[in-house]
Amino acid sequence: MNTASLNHLWILLRRELWESPIAFKWTPLGISALIILATILVLVLGARFDAEMAFTLDALRLFGDMPFEERRLIVSGLLFASSNFHLQLMILIVLFYLAGSLFDDRRDRSILFWKSLPVSDFTVVMSKLATACLMVPALFFFAILLTHLALLLIGSAYAMMAGINPMTSIWLPASLPQLWSVMILGLLVQALWLLPIYAWLLFCSSWAPRLPILIAIAIPAGLSLAQHSYSLISGFRLPEYNIGAIMLRRLGTGVLPGSVNIDLGGGVENLEFNEELYMSFSTVFGHLLKPEMWVGVLVAAVFLVAAVWFRRRATDQ
Amino acid sequence: MTAIIRARGLSRHYGRFKALDSIDLDIPAGRIVGLIGPNGAGKTTALKAILGLSSYRGELSVLGMNPATQRDQLMREVCFIADVAVLPRWARVRQIIDLTERLHPRFSRQRCLQYLAATKIRQDARIKTLSKGMVVQLHLALVMAIEARLLVLDEPTLGLDILFRKRFYSNLLNEYFDEDRSILVTTHQVEEIEHILTDLIFIKEGRLVLNSSMDDVQARYAELMVKPDRVDAARALGPIHERVLFGRHIFLYDRPDLEQVQALGELHRPSIADLFVALMGDAEPGASELESAA
Repeated sequence: MNTASLNHLWILLRRELWESPIAFKWTPLGISALIILATILVLVLGARFDAEMAFTLDALRLFGDMPFEERRLIVSGLLFASSNFHLQLMILIVLFYLAGSLFDDRRDRSILFWKSLPVSDFTVVMSKLATACLMVPALFFFAILLTHLALLLIGSAYAMMAGINPMTSIWLPASLPQLWSVMILGLLVQALWLLPIYAWLLFCSSWAPRLPILIAIAIPAGLSLAQHSYSLISGFRLPEYNIGAIMLRRLGTGVLPGSVNIDLGGGVENLEFNEELYMSFSTVFGHLLKPEMWVGVLVAAVFLVAAVWFRRRATDQ
Repeated sequence: MTAIIRARGLSRHYGRFKALDSIDLDIPAGRIVGLIGPNGAGKTTALKAILGLSSYRGELSVLGMNPATQRDQLMREVCFIADVAVLPRWARVRQIIDLTERLHPRFSRQRCLQYLAATKIRQDARIKTLSKGMVVQLHLALVMAIEARLLVLDEPTLGLDILFRKRFYSNLLNEYFDEDRSILVTTHQVEEIEHILTDLIFIKEGRLVLNSSMDDVQARYAELMVKPDRVDAARALGPIHERVLFGRHIFLYDRPDLEQVQALGELHRPSIADLFVALMGDAEPGASELESAA
């Protein structure tokens, strides 16, 4: 990639934002507004039941007396949990976006305009991938950051009412620098982990004559059903290598930045709530050491090359 | 003059159907070439090959480049307007101009805005709210602001009213075209571009039926209008086409003996449309008989 391609990439990312402002800009901000409104609503309703707010303020004072480590777990844990809605919806939006990304302009024929510009097909495919892996996560993260600040401000107001120091009881335990940097890293690692799924969708989007999202689902679903039926009649079993199961597992474990390694093998009841789950650099970096991660990246590379190949030959339908 | 487009044995097959059947083509700089043919004759297939939008067999070089592998470089010097409304509908006019400016090294924003100022197109309008004609005007403004050497127009004025169409071609001719550039245009509205073409190509079933300059065409073909009593004499001279209009027989000759022909009636230059019917008309068997019977 030379500077010209990077400049192209930059303007093509802006193009994606221009095309889908609702999905990429207003949805994350809307969820933030929803979370903040819901919080305020709960607090207002709570104030009506809790005369003079005595119970609330008492609880806050108790909270202020807790040891720092516990407060840290509660505040940062709550903040992380508040962003789950953002993170889950983001994956959904990215999946649908990718499935349409190399298809919509073929359908409405605007591909004839895009192809009349001196931009390589490789750069175009990369711009779609960068939108999914970098731009959308960045925009959602920005909305998460706003939500965190708003929730902390609301918390501070309550802390002051309860007469405890908001700085030491809320802002410091929130450990924002660590929470945010792990979250940013987590989003990047998550994108890398989901890369084969993203690349598969781009690949389907590059050639599907219609309904790319259905085709992208139907092919692995069909293969996995066929394999399953064959196992049933033949006694030949490789359940670990069922393509549908592999894709679902990867999607499922990749939904939250920190969830890649949550092992539910022992059952949910054995899951211990601690910082390792959502706020540890070593957990996030640990994913980079897994062979599955790099096998996935390799698979993604193959699909991306194929997507560029199809894009090069694509015209209007 | 170096050739802008050079094709040898250019072919494209869809299964057994030959959309392009081994075409040879040379288009030098400074020409306005009309590529005319009935629906499904291979016009769009040829244009797509030239623009690097589809694969092909044979040799093809556009501005010295191979369109199939070098589309992105080629598009710095080639502009392209497909039939109307391929600009992305979600975009605003300003965004499209921004995009083109950032992505096209030879685009001049100032010139584009100058062309747009003469239209009713507002910069913050969305493309989907513009009329068909306005979208074409916008596309033309974008394209005219690009220093390109080849402009390809595929049915650019489809579905537009006659005022738009006239203005479109006069803008193109007066403000864009010069001797370093070439324009390749396909259209069904032949009579409108007749007077601006320098070269004429007829394509039928994937083959070139005619490929010559307008001067040659005019020197080569002659149309003769004769009274009923001279019809047999006119037929004897071997016309390539015959039709009847208001009781007068009209014959088209390829390289006629002018003195001989002139003696039989009034001699005209045939219009492209008449030439088209004469050369392509036998696509439907019996069509010419029907016509002369009418």
